[in-house]
Amino acid sequence: METYDVIVIGAGFGGPVAAKKCADAGLKTLMVERSGIPGEKVISGLVIPIYGFLFGPAFIRNGNPPIERPICSVVNRIVKGGKIAFTDHSLKVPAPVVLGYSAYCKPFCTWLADRAVESGAILRTSTTVTDLIVEGGSVRGVITETGEALRSRIVIDSGGTQNMLSIKAGIRKKFVPEAIELYMIWDFEMPKADVDRVFGTSMEFFHAMPEEKIGAPLGYGSTLYFFTYRDSIHPGLGQFLITEGKVPNVQKLLRDYFSNFTATVTRWKQDIAPHAKLRGVMWDVCPIYAGLLPETREMPIYSDGFLIVGDAAGFEAAAFGDGVPNAWFSADIAADTAIEALAAGDTSRSFLARYEEKIKADPFIIHTISDGRRWNMREILKSRDENEFRRKVRDHWGIGAFRYGNMGGPCLRAARRAVAEDGKSISSWLNMFRRYYANWEQNRFDRLSTD
Amino acid sequence: MVRTSSEFPGIEWVEGTGDFIRIDGEKCTGCADCVRVCLAGCFAVEEKKAKITSLERCMECGACWYVCTGDAVSFSWPRGGTGFRTRWG
Ligand SMILES: Cc1cc2nc3c(=O)[nH]c(=O)nc-3n(C[C@H](O)[C@H](O)[C@H](O)COP(=O)(O)OP(=O)(O)OC[C@H]3O[C@@H](n4cnc5c(N)ncnc54)[C@H](O)[C@@H]3O)c2cc1C
Ligand code: SF4
Ligand code: SF4
Repeated sequence: METYDVIVIGAGFGGPVAAKKCADAGLKTLMVERSGIPGEKVISGLVIPIYGFLFGPAFIRNGNPPIERPICSVVNRIVKGGKIAFTDHSLKVPAPVVLGYSAYCKPFCTWLADRAVESGAILRTSTTVTDLIVEGGSVRGVITETGEALRSRIVIDSGGTQNMLSIKAGIRKKFVPEAIELYMIWDFEMPKADVDRVFGTSMEFFHAMPEEKIGAPLGYGSTLYFFTYRDSIHPGLGQFLITEGKVPNVQKLLRDYFSNFTATVTRWKQDIAPHAKLRGVMWDVCPIYAGLLPETREMPIYSDGFLIVGDAAGFEAAAFGDGVPNAWFSADIAADTAIEALAAGDTSRSFLARYEEKIKADPFIIHTISDGRRWNMREILKSRDENEFRRKVRDHWGIGAFRYGNMGGPCLRAARRAVAEDGKSISSWLNMFRRYYANWEQNRFDRLSTD
Repeated sequence: MVRTSSEFPGIEWVEGTGDFIRIDGEKCTGCADCVRVCLAGCFAVEEKKAKITSLERCMECGACWYVCTGDAVSFSWPRGGTGFRTRWG
């Protein structure tokens, strides 16, 4: 029977971050991933916001991961009768500074897993973990689908949203459907010159009142968004499984919203559609409101010998659904906790309680999972006040995103903390902006193990 | 063996998943919520009971499992290395 210091479940966005740090500390670390190649089962947006890169693990910032496009601005369109009634373009920064980077999950997660393997972690793909080994109330390893028992002193669960293992072990419960948004995603090829001309380095949102039928009722889903990639675009939209108290026909609604959008909105018909060719259609769920609902928010994120990170812990950001930064932060904290626990020879619940303390002290995690900006868009459904609608869009997706009470405060606190810990933080951020931008211009990134 | 679907381009399904989603007929109330949320059309309700018509285009999202608050849907992962995969996620 194989024995490891640490077993990490999942090689998505969080898992490799935890595994790399544990391996760097000399721990015998195993990552178990159910897909054949890391990231090929992760369906996401994806624009990873900049706070993840600035304040997340240094190896990402200092590396050359495969990004698709630097995102320097957000364009918010308010649609009325198929026309753009109002555009808010208040949120923009000058390149090479960015608001985030777009990416595809498969190459990005493979890049992350490659870094963990480089540090000495072992990666086992095409292997589904079906159970936790629990002895005397402590997690002592995992069991795979073939019945194989893999033992470890600590298990880090970064298995993502559905999170069956801790439910089966009685540690957590399934997320309530009110917390879950179902997203439908399309991927279109579009020549780079056209993406450059039509979108530049912006991403674009289309907000509307429900009667436009191009998205879920405000607050009950994400507005239709266009994420822009190198030579493709990646629209998506979502709706909560429970909307205004009941389960609507979500599978039909999501399709209808997109076909209404493509049939009526001139921005699509004139500027985008002539250059775009459909290449992918997919969907997934996202526990966006997990941190806003008391029954999900209070669920345990650790147990004896067991630490839960990322989506599996309910760390999806509630305003935008940007879960990658929190997956990185929590994976980093979980690895620190595991390293300390193994050094102290104590993996008990009481020792691992420091994981939760550090999560609570993180400038972003609790703030972002409790951010009610999207949820509160519901108020517009009652007031029907158009000025209020514009104001909220600006406050949420526009320049207001940087207000101190929104993301400004956490970013300032994190920056102060980073600079206090390492005087070279600012130069490492500037280097990252420059290097990532040059990498993008030259389309040159680290080779992947799968290339 | 790998399957594709013209309705959902860009996705491949590797065969050999096993029956990873099941319905407990005793618990099913026939509410059809699973039908309403499944984009792959995996469910149908006949004579007030849900049944799985096919998991061939399942994207393993778990939406059916989340909405079935009476726990009639049981959900697990397909065998490692099987089920859907994509380059465009
Ligand atoms: C449609 C959509 C759009 C999104 N857009 C954005 C965005 O724009 N920006 C952003 O920052 N975030 C976005 N997110 C959220 C982001 O994708 C997640 O927060 C992030 O992937 C969470 O990382 P994780 O490591 O917790 O889980 P994941 O990245 O989901 O990784 C989990 C991994 O574990 C594996 N796994 C699971 N169970 C097992 C098991 N039992 N055995 C073996 N392997 C297992 C899975 O195959 C997977 O590889 C979006 C999510 C969705 C669904
Ligand atoms: S959601 Fe559950 S109870 Fe309702 S029809 Fe489907 S399986 Fe039956
Ligand atoms: S997991 Fe998702 S795609 Fe698969 S049957 Fe359930 S709802 Fe349908």
